[in-house]
Amino acid sequence: MKALSLYQDNGTLIHRVDPISKLLYIAAAIFIPVVLTGFTAGLAMLGLSLMLLVLARVLRKVVPLIGFSMLVLISVVIIQGLFYAGNRQVMFALGGVHFYREGLLFSAAICVRVLNILCAFALLVLTTRPSDLIESLVRQGLSPHFGYVLSSVLQIIPQMTGTMETITDAQRSRGMETEGSLMVRLRAFLPLIGPVVMNSLVSTRERSLALEVRAFSSRAQKTFLNEERVSTSNRVIKIVLLAAMAAAVAWRVVS
Amino acid sequence: MKKIVVEGLKYRYPLTAELALNDVSFEIEKGEFIGIIGRNLAGKSTLCQALMGLVPHFYKGAYGGSVTVDGLNVAQTEICELARKVGLVFQNPFTQVSGSKMTVYEELAFGLENLGVPRAEMMPRIESAMALLGIERFGKRNPFDLSGGQMQRMAIASVIAMAPDIIVLDEPTSQLDPQGSEEVFQAIQALSRQGMTVIMVEHKMEKIARYSDRVMLLDHGRLVDFDTPERVFSRDDLAQYGIAAPIFARICQGLGIRTPQTGLYPMTLDDAYDQVVNWHE
Ligand SMILES: Nc1ncnc2c1ncn2[C@@H]1O[C@H](COP(=O)(O)OP(=O)(O)OP(=O)(O)O)[C@@H](O)[C@H]1O
Ligand SMILES: [Mg+2]
Repeated sequence: MKALSLYQDNGTLIHRVDPISKLLYIAAAIFIPVVLTGFTAGLAMLGLSLMLLVLARVLRKVVPLIGFSMLVLISVVIIQGLFYAGNRQVMFALGGVHFYREGLLFSAAICVRVLNILCAFALLVLTTRPSDLIESLVRQGLSPHFGYVLSSVLQIIPQMTGTMETITDAQRSRGMETEGSLMVRLRAFLPLIGPVVMNSLVSTRERSLALEVRAFSSRAQKTFLNEERVSTSNRVIKIVLLAAMAAAVAWRVVS
Repeated sequence: MKKIVVEGLKYRYPLTAELALNDVSFEIEKGEFIGIIGRNLAGKSTLCQALMGLVPHFYKGAYGGSVTVDGLNVAQTEICELARKVGLVFQNPFTQVSGSKMTVYEELAFGLENLGVPRAEMMPRIESAMALLGIERFGKRNPFDLSGGQMQRMAIASVIAMAPDIIVLDEPTSQLDPQGSEEVFQAIQALSRQGMTVIMVEHKMEKIARYSDRVMLLDHGRLVDFDTPERVFSRDDLAQYGIAAPIFARICQGLGIRTPQTGLYPMTLDDAYDQVVNWHE
């Protein structure tokens, strides 16, 4: 079954870093360039993220993400380059259209920020099993019920698409047209969605019964099968990230 | 020692007119293997859920009489408290997958995590439950990638890992082939021999006759009979309750062969064989 997750199981060093540290890294990747205005901090952060993505051997997976966001970012660059309110100094002209320095710098800053956030999130999403992320949030005090909802959604949505395919096949084998023009598809969709919804309502009740039986509502202190990763290196990573954020604030205040 | 005592249990689901259970009373001893039989909609699943407290706590509805499990009055005990004593395996293995775990091994851990079982104790329990049901090979698979039969084994193993005193199984072998059903029955029998109280709903009468200590016959929410398999399956009004006796009992009935000591029909292949051989001599 296709799980609803972008996780790449490469087993590198980065994969072994605990999810909370990676969340903290995202916070730092957003926070530090905002505090330290200017390009250097943003570019340095971006460089670091790309390096970590390479280390985790997931850069290949990031390229399409970046490519897609490029479409949006290029349009930002063009619009700001042409029409930014503070535009004074012409940088270059393309077929009679003038691009201004201020607008281009402004949009470049936006690009760096967006790519920064994207890469930091990609680092978390591509190198962390969703269930591990949720489990560590539950350990940190997230309600187990909410944690369950998050993780079951990731499992059950692919499940529902599976049901959908089965029912489509069943209906097609009875001679219903399910492919072709939009109208045909729409007409095929209605009788399809009924059984899928009914099916999932019934399963939802049955599943909540089964959860009760497995003591899901128990008030006992929950334990975890997987050991919490409390290695010194993980602690060091967290301390370094927090220190870096604090240092950024201090730098900003002083200078 | 009485493990389960049910007295005058009546139950009606919300928004329905008919009683799903009507004045049911019985007692079950520790370590017994009980088979529950009855036609469709007889109330078998409802009775199973009443032992676990899902009836009435989950469904609400009208409830009368009392169910006592290991000294606890079910109507006054929370389901999660009962879950420490009673394990319930449902008919449909698919909806018993918790849906929040990525592997079979973790799926088995789900109940133990909720009960707060220490981590060191979890692993031997999970491994022995997987071994008992013959699913060690699938430990790393995604639970949803299993076949129906494998899922059914996993559902049973998930409950067994929680180490209940009493296990209630509602048609636990519906998705399994004959060989698989036999393996599951043997596994459950092994637990029963270790002192676990087993209550099993099953349509395969040969299996019920062979493995149960006593058989409970339900019809229209009423307890018709609760006795040894020989006595229940030797009743001449079984057809009236939509039940066909095990094939060996029917053959001997056709031939008029009874076990001389009891005057009842033999139930299992071995018993039937002995009696047929005696009869020929
Ligand atoms: N959730 C429910 N809501 C309302 N009525 C129900 C519900 N579940 C079962 N019933 C009714 O209770 C009665 C007993 O049903 P039950 O499911 O216990 O039978 P069963 O013996 O397990 O049947 P089967 O062999 O088909 O599993 C039936 O009349 C049924 O319609
Ligand atoms: Mg049933």
